[in-house]
Amino acid sequence: MMASAGAGRRTGRGFGRVLVTVYGILAFAALGRSSYELVVKFGEAPVAYTLSTLAAVVYVVATFALAIGSPAWRVTAWITVGIEAVGVVTVGALSLADAEVFGESTVWSGFGQGYGYVPLVLPFVGLWWLWRTSRSPSEERTA
Amino acid sequence: MEAQVTHDPIAAPQVPPGSLRDVILALLLLVVALCVVLAGWAGWFVARDRAVILNQLWGGAVIEGVVLIQGVVAIVQGATGAGADDPLLFWGYFATTLVILPIAAAWAFAERTKWSSVVLLVASLTVAFLEWRLWQIWMGA
Repeated sequence: MMASAGAGRRTGRGFGRVLVTVYGILAFAALGRSSYELVVKFGEAPVAYTLSTLAAVVYVVATFALAIGSPAWRVTAWITVGIEAVGVVTVGALSLADAEVFGESTVWSGFGQGYGYVPLVLPFVGLWWLWRTSRSPSEERTA
Repeated sequence: MEAQVTHDPIAAPQVPPGSLRDVILALLLLVVALCVVLAGWAGWFVARDRAVILNQLWGGAVIEGVVLIQGVVAIVQGATGAGADDPLLFWGYFATTLVILPIAAAWAFAERTKWSSVVLLVASLTVAFLEWRLWQIWMGA
């Protein structure tokens, strides 16, 4: 997990350690859910369950990217956390507009309601953390 | 999550008979109680600005031990044909419950600030929550 430090502070340290923990738990939840859906009932709603799998993969990649936090992985973190932010808002809105489309099939449905709205809050905390740790290490001794 | 929609806890008599049900419930309450204690211990460390210590990881190991016993009970129960309504869902949740504390402990212990205590706090509460979900799935609720 210990990558070489690049520009900015490593994202997996300090508060980032808690962020990665919550991301990891959500990754497990999303992965478990989508695996179950793929195995048991993929035929019922292929589009929704494919999206569910995509969401799970994004969470897994985001977790590793934030945990490692090297410059290259930081870019990956920005992208995956960004996808989550867009995903939870878009799918949340769509699932409100038409419950049939996504129903309860993803962690993003109903803005992550089934997961205590953690999927809604987390990407924005993640983006804030990436922004905050992107400055030089000397400015960041307090966190 | 899906199971909740289709099952009525009253109409679906999935609850195993007498003594085994008591054992399952006792083990589950024990895990939840231990998780709450560990979370409280970690929370106290957060307040005191302290990092996770080895004794807390031993506490996590005790919880793991009880969870493993739960697994044995579930295997025995499954062998007698009275297992969880949805074995795949049950074992999926069980596996998650089992791996969260070890991974979180290793991840927390590498950080020597109070944030490691927050990690342990979050992981403990997550295991307690997962136990509640396990109970629902186990009892076919």
